[in-house]
Amino acid sequence: MSLDTLYQKLILEHNRNPHNFGPLPSATHIGRAQDALCGDDLEMALEVVDDHIVAAHFSGEACAVTQASASMLTDWLVGRPIDSIAPAFSAFSAMLSEPNAPPVAELGALNELKPVGAFPARRGNACLPWLATLRALGRDV
Amino acid sequence: MSNTPLAVDQIRAEFPILSRSVHNKPLVYLDNAATTQRPQSVIEAVGHFYRHSNANVHRGVHQLSVEASEQFEAARAAVARFLGAPSEREIVFTRGTTEAINLVANSFLRPTIQAGDEILITHMEHHANIVPWQMLCEHTGAVLKVAPISTDGELLVDELSSMITERTRLVGVVHISNALGSVNPVAEICRMAQAQGVPVLIDGAQATPHTAIDVKALGCDFYCFSGHKMYGPTGIGGLWAKAAHLEQMPPWQGGGEMIRYVSFDETSYNDIPHKFEAGTPNVAGAIGLMAAIEFIERVGIDAIANHEQALLQYATEQLLQIDGLRIIGRAKEKGPVVSFVVDGAHANDIGTIVDHCGVAIRTGHHCAMPAMQFFNVPATARASFAAYNTHEEVDVFCDALKKAIGMLA
Repeated sequence: MSLDTLYQKLILEHNRNPHNFGPLPSATHIGRAQDALCGDDLEMALEVVDDHIVAAHFSGEACAVTQASASMLTDWLVGRPIDSIAPAFSAFSAMLSEPNAPPVAELGALNELKPVGAFPARRGNACLPWLATLRALGRDV
Repeated sequence: MSNTPLAVDQIRAEFPILSRSVHNKPLVYLDNAATTQRPQSVIEAVGHFYRHSNANVHRGVHQLSVEASEQFEAARAAVARFLGAPSEREIVFTRGTTEAINLVANSFLRPTIQAGDEILITHMEHHANIVPWQMLCEHTGAVLKVAPISTDGELLVDELSSMITERTRLVGVVHISNALGSVNPVAEICRMAQAQGVPVLIDGAQATPHTAIDVKALGCDFYCFSGHKMYGPTGIGGLWAKAAHLEQMPPWQGGGEMIRYVSFDETSYNDIPHKFEAGTPNVAGAIGLMAAIEFIERVGIDAIANHEQALLQYATEQLLQIDGLRIIGRAKEKGPVVSFVVDGAHANDIGTIVDHCGVAIRTGHHCAMPAMQFFNVPATARASFAAYNTHEEVDVFCDALKKAIGMLA
């Protein structure tokens, strides 16, 4: 797998100009995840109304892969029922770890992160924002 | 130091792994502070033992057991010689530095330490020289104190000296920092501590591959090291301790080998160092370690140090020319380690990109999170050098790094 597929324009663009970065004053749920090995430290802030996520922001310091994954995830989360997040994470993990798996329709733009799966040492980076999200929702993993 | 240049091409030829490719590029291995590669002599020593002499040690009258025991004890003698130890009785084989420090924490301090007693370490320690003491403090009410460092990554020795009190039970200090490269004045620290009757433990994991060690001249009480940092196998290392300490320390693990006599009423323990080596030891590892020591002695530790210092200086000069790059750890005296951060480029991404150019560096906190916290960086990238590295490899690394920065900018 070439480097360019990992550091594709989309990931680099989200890294340089992350969406939904910074505090969320209306947050009802906050979760933090750290990757002690590489130094990533991420906080996801969610506003949940009627069991649906209506806003999602992230903050912290992280590598390009984590930052891009968080940026894309905060876009994707808005409008989702909270019960759908854990199953979606299972699908996301499987998408990364199974090289020949087809795109998962439900994941939408997050399928663009599939090239990360070819870099086993970096899969954890793509998953870190999900862990913070699930922790925010009280579903430790 | 000797000025004889190192025959690097000949040395490289002794390391089979250096001829492999990574991502279709020649391997440039600059992660030596994590673990070095092994010369053929070490690989062969381990293989030869398993092919010809494999048996348990100190347990049999048969020929193989005798050979295994002789080679194992010869390895102990080699370690004693390498460290300048007065006697091989003072060498305890362990899995590595971490286990050696845990042994001292559990066997030397734990039996007598009291609530309110103090253990003094430094801000640049590896987790291996932090966590065992924290665990001990948690169980006993003792207090862990931390001597500060400067923004250059140098230990503030006067501050450390002033933190030694009548409650200090041990000073634990790293000889060469794995994260910053700083070389600490350990002999001076030993003099200071011992003037107040305080024993000193030195974490020598990063020192034994790069500098001659003489534990008598250093004046320490405990010296810990790992075989795999110095061209030897993983899972073997050791503790040197003064015989007087080892004699009065109780065993910390029970089992075979460490006993003299066992009944259900009473057990008596073996002599030092065997009373600290419960169970079947890493015999092949010790024999491989002996081969690694012989490799270092054959090449010459001073010649290795000169070569590595030249690489360090060259790499430092090259890196400082890169915009936005900041070297973490600018001590005047350094081991062959250069840690750095780059504006706008996370260490992890740099590590992945240079890996695709064949260059292995370490990225992260280097098991020294408090040191990272001091410099207010979540992670650094680190290149670290060994006898087989070349100036050309530094160039490949710097080109790969520039490529990474270009991609991420």
